Amino acid sequence: MTSDWGFAHDLDDISGQVAIAGVGEADHTKASGRTAAEIAGQAVERALADAGLEPGDVDGIMHVPMLADRFDAAAFRDHFGTSHEMWESDRGGGMVWAGTAPYEAAQALRDGKATCIVNAFAVAWATQRGSMVGGPGQSHAQELAKQNLEVPFGWFPQPVYFATIARRHMHQYGTTQEQLGAVAVTLRRHANLTPAAVMRDRPLSLEQYLASPTIVDPFRKEDCCLISDGGGAYVMTSADRARDLRSQPIDVAGVGLGSSRTGTYWAQQGAFCSTPQAFAAPGGFAMAGISPADVDVLACYDPFTIHSIMQVEDMGFCQKGDGGPFAEAGSLAFDSGVLPYNTHGGLLSHAYVLGIAHVVEVVRQLRGECGDRQVPDAEIGVYGGYTGPQASTLVLRKG
Amino acid sequence: MRDDFPLPDTDWEPAREFWAGAARHELLIPRCDTCAAYCWYPRPTCRQCKGESFTWTPMSGRATLFSWTVVRHAFLKQFADEVPYATGLAALDEDPSVRLATRLVDCDLSALTFEQPLEVAYRDLAFPGIERTVTAPFFRPR
Repeated sequence: MTSDWGFAHDLDDISGQVAIAGVGEADHTKASGRTAAEIAGQAVERALADAGLEPGDVDGIMHVPMLADRFDAAAFRDHFGTSHEMWESDRGGGMVWAGTAPYEAAQALRDGKATCIVNAFAVAWATQRGSMVGGPGQSHAQELAKQNLEVPFGWFPQPVYFATIARRHMHQYGTTQEQLGAVAVTLRRHANLTPAAVMRDRPLSLEQYLASPTIVDPFRKEDCCLISDGGGAYVMTSADRARDLRSQPIDVAGVGLGSSRTGTYWAQQGAFCSTPQAFAAPGGFAMAGISPADVDVLACYDPFTIHSIMQVEDMGFCQKGDGGPFAEAGSLAFDSGVLPYNTHGGLLSHAYVLGIAHVVEVVRQLRGECGDRQVPDAEIGVYGGYTGPQASTLVLRKG
Repeated sequence: MRDDFPLPDTDWEPAREFWAGAARHELLIPRCDTCAAYCWYPRPTCRQCKGESFTWTPMSGRATLFSWTVVRHAFLKQFADEVPYATGLAALDEDPSVRLATRLVDCDLSALTFEQPLEVAYRDLAFPGIERTVTAPFFRPR
């Protein structure tokens, strides 16, 4: 397959300009009755406590571009009872932006627009599920080309697209059901070692996975992300200032961003079984001056098992097409010594908070705070963000 | 959302010719008047040459099965009577990079194969509680 189906974005070198000084997660739950703003507020409170900062110290807030109940400056002031001015940006939040928010933050810090920036993201989709069209597929159902040329044929929503992609991957590369299952089982094991994970008390064996009914061939429900209420936040400041704060700072060493030319029209994507990580990861690694072999812990946006396999391939951790055998060999386990991956359980078994908790987990791994699932001596960690049309690669390094 | 969702809006300008063709049992795809590339999904400018003029061109209706899935859970309540059903992507013979999202019919759901030759088969899209129906290009093995 030629590489003209997408492209890498040209990013300035921001290596060493930003540090993550604090992280926090809201409670991850099934339907909670809370609003996304309440949930985000809780995550921000915890991130500020982790950094040893007060709400009034925060002079920048980043939130997601596409969801209505974003945690913007007004929501921040409302939650914390402050009235101070804040720089704000809608180029933050979860998904791909959980990986690129530090790039935007670096520019704001450089330009003196802010000195301490929080990126926050939360969803209450478990609570809101009944009122959404196709659940998280709602925004796709509202996109007119998809609404008129895909939905009427039942090629909707995300589980259907990505099952179609998974089947083609199986055909093209020999990926097996057991290999998809290996991803689900490994991530569930990680969640079982993570006190905050929604699935912490629910073990999953490969036998149980294979016995689970197929809902959209080849996916069982265990191949699909959870629907949960929850959120997360992280605090960014200059690397120098972060050294003076309460928690061990984690430096942003590199950022990469890649795009597909066909957007959310996966049906028309040239490299059907690839993700834009193929364009994002090389840039992120180059900015950080590392190669895939240097990565101690990886967390990728993993809405379906096939996304873990595709991104591990596309980021260069194995050859294209070898992601299935790589997972089946146990390489993704936190104690594999190969590529500890989604050590909190990911979107499949930790919480469906769209990647923000992945960044939190990588930071905690690099600080050595992960208890029973701690990766020994982790110094370099990577978040692979994804929205479909875009992917991001965020390289973090122990400060 | 429209009251007749998930039926297509056959008046939606970018794909109006597609649905008008389907009503006449014709499969029409926009073709760039400048470079002759097929452009799917419809868009204002040609992906290849940035041309802005297209002719809706009849296809043979022959295709191969690029990939598919059997849906056993109704993600939309309107499909509750349809499951299990096969949906996937038909790669047109005229240009296999043009992939139509479609339903696969007149087939054993367990006997579909990759690159299987297909032909268009027109069926009416009909959903419970919606009076209107729309003729649409489904595909079947040939």
